[in-house]
Amino acid sequence: MHPTTSARTPGPAAEVVTRLRALLAAARPGWPGRALYALASLPIGALSLALYVALLGSVFAVIYGVGLLLVLLVLATIRGFGGVERQLAGILLGVDVPVGERVRHQPGVIRKVRRLVQSAGTWRAVGWLGARVLMGAATLATLFFGGLAFAYLGWGADWNALTALPLLALMAAVVGLTLAVLDLLVRLAATVAPRLLGTSPEQQIAALQQSTRRLADRTKLARDLHDTIGHALTASLLQATAARRTLTPHDDRPLQPDFARQALGHIETNTRTALAELDRVLTVLRASDSGAEDGGRNPAPFAAPSLADLDDLLAGLRDGGLPVALVVDGEVDDVPPGVQELAYRVVQEGTTNVLRHAGCPLTVAQVARTGDVLVVRVCNERASHLDSRPGPGGGRGLAGLRERTAAAGGTLSAEPSPSGGFELCVTLPLSGAA
Amino acid sequence: MSLRLLLVDDDVLVRSGLRVILESEPDLTVVGDAGTGREALDAAARTDPDVVLMDVRMPDMDGIAATAELVARDPRRPRVLVLTTFEDDDYLFRSLQAGASGFALKRSDPDELVDAIRVVARGTSLVLPDLTRRLIASHAPSRARGAAALPELTGREADVLRLVAGGLSNAEIAGRMHLSRETVKTHVSGVLLKLGARDRTQAVIAAYESGFMTA
Repeated sequence: MHPTTSARTPGPAAEVVTRLRALLAAARPGWPGRALYALASLPIGALSLALYVALLGSVFAVIYGVGLLLVLLVLATIRGFGGVERQLAGILLGVDVPVGERVRHQPGVIRKVRRLVQSAGTWRAVGWLGARVLMGAATLATLFFGGLAFAYLGWGADWNALTALPLLALMAAVVGLTLAVLDLLVRLAATVAPRLLGTSPEQQIAALQQSTRRLADRTKLARDLHDTIGHALTASLLQATAARRTLTPHDDRPLQPDFARQALGHIETNTRTALAELDRVLTVLRASDSGAEDGGRNPAPFAAPSLADLDDLLAGLRDGGLPVALVVDGEVDDVPPGVQELAYRVVQEGTTNVLRHAGCPLTVAQVARTGDVLVVRVCNERASHLDSRPGPGGGRGLAGLRERTAAAGGTLSAEPSPSGGFELCVTLPLSGAA
Repeated sequence: MSLRLLLVDDDVLVRSGLRVILESEPDLTVVGDAGTGREALDAAARTDPDVVLMDVRMPDMDGIAATAELVARDPRRPRVLVLTTFEDDDYLFRSLQAGASGFALKRSDPDELVDAIRVVARGTSLVLPDLTRRLIASHAPSRARGAAALPELTGREADVLRLVAGGLSNAEIAGRMHLSRETVKTHVSGVLLKLGARDRTQAVIAAYESGFMTA
């Protein structure tokens, strides 16, 4: 009706494709899809046979010294053909075939070639080709003999009043049998397709494990960000907002430069800690990024902080004005990574809390191993802070630490020390912990 | 008549910052602070605040448990405004379910925060109506208790509840239904009474959980 309508009409080719798509979509479940699939077996079977001949031919060509290139070309074509088959099975049979590893995602020609030849997927696709040839032949034979029997019964037999009924029944039986055999073939293909065209169960399990691991890492990273950077920024924001108010003259409100000065000190410390944590998180993210370039097959292990990172942590705190010493007793190099990370977190939380709640008193972080037990202790002298407030303090991070310590089978205590300072002490078992 | 506030947060810096910000408002007085949920219960009993600003994650009883305990003691006061660092849906919904009247982000503008406190104290509209409604709508249906849980409302009351659940304030409802604010207030009180809800946030939760409102 509108002149613009004709302008938007797609070309005939696009229209055909659209109609075919609609047809395929309509055929998706149930018997129409299977019938189409069975019919498609004939040309696809012929194509598979041709590919087989090409593969054998190219192998002979290699023997005669013509070159490897031809084999690779045919193999790549077979893999590509496998992809088309995967989609066909998905559309017509509703079989969800998981995509295996992608050779074309490999970096560099040499690695592509190596994966192409080494990948079990390639050779399974060759196997699938064989299955397709057999299926095409079986479909052809079924249709041929079915048609032959039908034609013979229709035109060759002696039809009269007495034989008409049995002959009709026989013809129906022939049609039924033909359809049943075709259906059986299609069902067989549907069962085999995921195994030959998709990933093997081992690969699937490995992929699943890997994605689970990544998810766990990301959740952990998110929690760390929440507990450290999110927390530090919130506190800094509120301190900054408050400080600005105390420096802004307003009616009868007195100016409080002391509060503002203190607030700036807190903001400084919090920001420094947050930046250190951000640095660590970014290192982790960069490490897992470079792992992903490896085709995702060998992701870099999650670079959790270890006891070796304590020196850097405490150096940063010393820059921030906290006089803190680190004492390590016993052999700690072979402490499991999980325990090392937890121990690092204990020291991090303990020392940050000292800064946050007590100002800059003399502080000692101690990591001691005796046999199968690791003791991590952070204790400080009497608080020098104006706003000091012993008690459980720290909290958010401490609550998280308590959970994680309990999960690792350890114990945590956080209490004022007899000397008027504060002591955080965590005991972790080394056996049975990861 | 100034509002009495109790600050509950495990971080002393958050508390001291909030205290300065809130005390600079003439109609707000900070009557106490606490670093854990358990301390908050003691402080609330001691200071009798109108509104408790409650952090969610704390050691020694978190904000959700402390809110539930405060509500169990006295359903009318104090009202609880949950303060959160992040819009962590699950925590927020659980704190509303526990009886909090609303929530605000710690990073929100001081004026917004002060507004939220006044709104919670007045109870004539939801805090962050859109966010709250979406939060409840997305969480409540999965825990539906069935329509039987909602008692008989008159036609007027049902209309009012629908608008309350839509996040409208009393004044907005009055405009929409061509009623006086006093009449709307009466209807809202009637709805709250019938639902056994202490405030409109709880009424919205009941409306969604019963299937009266659908997401």
